[in-house]
Amino acid sequence: MEQPALRVIDACKTYDRSDHAALLPTSFEVARGEFVSLVGPSGCGKSTLLGMIAGLLTPDEGSIEALGKPVTGPGDGRAIVFQDAALFPWLTVFHNVEYGLRAHKVPKAERRERVENALRLVHLDHVADKHPYELSGGMRQRASIARALVMEPEILLMDEPFSALDAQTRTILSDELQRIWLETRPAVVFVTHNLIEAAFLSDTVHLLSSGPGRIVKTYPIDIPRPRDEADPALLEIRHDMLERLRAEVDDAAERRAQVAEVSAL
Amino acid sequence: MSTATGDGTGGGTGERPGAASRAARGAGAVAMDLLRKSWFVILILVVWWAVSATGLVDPYKLPAPGDVLSTLGTLFTDRALLDDLGATLLRLVEGWAIGVVAGVLLGILTGGSRFLEDGIRPVIAGLQAVPTIAFLPLAILWFGFNGTAVLAITAFGTFKPMALATYGAMHQISPTLMMAGKALGARGLFMQRTLIFPAIVPALVTGLKMGWSFAWRALMAAEIVVTGAAGLGGVLELGREIGAIDVVMAVILVILVVGIVTEQLFFTRLERWVNQRWGLVGAR
Repeated sequence: MEQPALRVIDACKTYDRSDHAALLPTSFEVARGEFVSLVGPSGCGKSTLLGMIAGLLTPDEGSIEALGKPVTGPGDGRAIVFQDAALFPWLTVFHNVEYGLRAHKVPKAERRERVENALRLVHLDHVADKHPYELSGGMRQRASIARALVMEPEILLMDEPFSALDAQTRTILSDELQRIWLETRPAVVFVTHNLIEAAFLSDTVHLLSSGPGRIVKTYPIDIPRPRDEADPALLEIRHDMLERLRAEVDDAAERRAQVAEVSAL
Repeated sequence: MSTATGDGTGGGTGERPGAASRAARGAGAVAMDLLRKSWFVILILVVWWAVSATGLVDPYKLPAPGDVLSTLGTLFTDRALLDDLGATLLRLVEGWAIGVVAGVLLGILTGGSRFLEDGIRPVIAGLQAVPTIAFLPLAILWFGFNGTAVLAITAFGTFKPMALATYGAMHQISPTLMMAGKALGARGLFMQRTLIFPAIVPALVTGLKMGWSFAWRALMAAEIVVTGAAGLGGVLELGREIGAIDVVMAVILVILVVGIVTEQLFFTRLERWVNQRWGLVGAR
């Protein structure tokens, strides 16, 4: 059998002084070219899990393997897109996208070509010379996606990339991400608290619950692509996930709060 | 340590109308604006003139404003003061630049390590509590009674606040930005050069201004003591020796103007440019 892109083996994290949520020992695999979402309410440990996969956090126990090698730090075939885009404000869009290539000492001519391709892919070639402060939130997030994709990652990690955007922009970018993924086919780990977004984009959705964080159910999504967010089959899956979350949470007040959070989206 | 948005000095922040609105306002409005900001200066000049005109105060203690102005003119036309001004400015820029580079380099290279910063930072903070001029006798013993000692004092006076400003700025870099850089493969010197340094630039600009004023003070104090070398401080001291109070006051005026001009022409523009370029104004 082909080696998976990513293997998470009993990785766990207890609550520490930082604001990362606790996570019970968790295991799952991501096949090469597979789109996997981690979805759940705040405090379910989904961002903690992604941080560990990115190599920015260390699991207390258990291990994570990316492309057959244990994860000890960031980089190495894994690129990451953050919630707030995290572009370098002093660099133009072009130079932001180029940054990782410079860090990896890619020759200048090749850098130029790869950056231009990446910008075309996310439809930002017309603002290559603009600075981040001149862009809308959606454009910044596109630039951030281009900055990750230009590294030609085998694994793309996305930490709630659309949660700071307005509803229309979110829908458009979600559609765009589907197209981009179909064109480039990296393995993706996508963290979100938006159930429909997770179901729409993914081959597999891991539903997490909090107190402490753990995967409560895994949903394979077999709907052919390109998909439509309004597909009734997706809405059905979303309904099922909501039911599942309701059943998971015992405390009534907490249940109301969590269910309200995820159904608002 | 203030963040990059701070300005506060000079009260200019809220009063920078764009070119269009400035043109739209009449010349009368501009004159009113000027008057509003300069009435107290005018009052000082009038009182000064009136007091010296009564002849109650010895002109050796308080010369008339006109006399000071004509002395200033003479000093500039025979070029002596121009040479001194040039020597002082050159020393100021040199000392300041050395101090800035040394302070920022030290801050960046040691600020990334908890161990180094914890050891070095308190020492610099301690030195900063000592007025720089107190080190002048030491500098004279090391470098001699000459311009080098003055330059060293100027550089040292800049170095301390710059190193402290750099440490402060480094603690304010967004953790997400650092994570983004690391995830893209930035390490070591590349990261310090392409991420940490540019990220602290807005905060450093505030530090530069502070460094400049520390340099200016240290330089003047040192020049007044080390009179062998050319410089405004030497002229001040010479004026005192020969009892030429008009010279002393004329030089003080020159020092004042240099301070205002660098502040307004250089630092205010630099700050505005950086804030715009770093996206600290405009979209947020």
